Amino acid sequence: MDGQLLSKTFVELTDTMVADFDVIDFLHVLTDRSVLLLNVSAAGLLLADPRGELRVVAASSEAARLLELFQLQNDQGPCLDCFRTGHLVTAPDLTAAVQRWPRFAAAAQQAGFAAVQALPMRMREQVIGALNLFRATPGAFPPTDIQIGQALADVATISLLHERSMRHSDTLNEQLQTALNSRVVIEQAKGKLAERYGLDMDQAFRLLRDHARSHNLRLADTAQALIDGTTTLRA
Amino acid sequence: MAAVTAVGVSGAWLSAARGAEAGHLMCVTDAVSERLAELQLTLGEGPGLDAVESGGPVLASDLDQRDAARRWPVYAPAARQAGAAAIFAFPLRIGAIRAGVMALYRGHPGPLSASHLGDSLIFADTATLLLLDAQDWADCPPAGPGPGGQPADLVLHRAEIDQATGMLTEQLGVGIADAFIRLRAYAYAHDQRLVDVARDIVARRLRLRPDRDPSMGGQA
Repeated sequence: MDGQLLSKTFVELTDTMVADFDVIDFLHVLTDRSVLLLNVSAAGLLLADPRGELRVVAASSEAARLLELFQLQNDQGPCLDCFRTGHLVTAPDLTAAVQRWPRFAAAAQQAGFAAVQALPMRMREQVIGALNLFRATPGAFPPTDIQIGQALADVATISLLHERSMRHSDTLNEQLQTALNSRVVIEQAKGKLAERYGLDMDQAFRLLRDHARSHNLRLADTAQALIDGTTTLRA
Repeated sequence: MAAVTAVGVSGAWLSAARGAEAGHLMCVTDAVSERLAELQLTLGEGPGLDAVESGGPVLASDLDQRDAARRWPVYAPAARQAGAAAIFAFPLRIGAIRAGVMALYRGHPGPLSASHLGDSLIFADTATLLLLDAQDWADCPPAGPGPGGQPADLVLHRAEIDQATGMLTEQLGVGIADAFIRLRAYAYAHDQRLVDVARDIVARRLRLRPDRDPSMGGQA
């Protein structure tokens, strides 16, 4: 466990208090860090929209297979169970999970994963989403990792709120929907870049992100500007 | 509009817009909504305008609260006077595709319940598609099963559809809204699910050409 990286991640939470904070970029950083800190192969943050659909807002890789594994979980899987119960859901060996989630377990194994975990993102009594972790080798997730994982999920929840005290659900709902819409803009921009420069989705995403960071812009704003034609990226 | 009774509000208005400019009013359910829409344009502030800018809903469940006064110092009291105690504005968007804004108002304060919020978002999605279909894209017939028919495969969001839409802006040399219209038109013309066409495009099994006739636009 990289203690420094862990401390750094938590300290960065204070950046959420700054006006120009880019929550989408932060959630991506968080999922990337989760992979390093928790010793997993892949991670994704899913949020539930008010219709109850679980949607990816950030993932450690843009690979289609991985995104598909998240999208699949609207029917069955650890994230759905986690979202419904508000509890940690763990499957240390996917071969044993075939009864539990037949389609999901098969797809996850085909994608090269052997173990999976979902940690709830909770806002008071409400479950707003889940942090989904995948491992390539089977085995239990160590208790310390579970604690850190839950703390990271909590950090993600907090970062979605621009105000420290939330009197009612309006703000959270507004933020959630805005974040979800931002994700759509980013997907559209990825497609545009992938086609224009002959990139895969991971490369396209990284191009977008690098441009946003070097120009000190929000990811979603950069994506929007690219689509509107008010900005140009060079591959 | 069906939305009004279904989600327990007093009235609604809908403005269409292409791109980022303020839209023109397309429909209102009563005189109060009309006034509320008008006020936004004259005062240059309001939940509807914020919703267009932020890309997310703006839920003002009590216009008397300090929060509302802070956000819309002139609009909030004017809206109260016009008869609205709560306003819920939803941008009509699919990512970067901006079709307009839908706003609901209520004569008494209080938040939208979770289920009403969910329903409002569904109405917003439907309205977005209707507005896109209604746009005058001369060379392409409206896609999908016709007004009022919500294509089943748009109920769940799929990243591939968004990616394919982006890819089509390059393949066809069109804006994002037109790219989406073309994508739907192709799926409809070939009797395929939208997500399947999108997958083929993303996997580069299918390219659309900048042809006028969408049923000829594919090459596998």
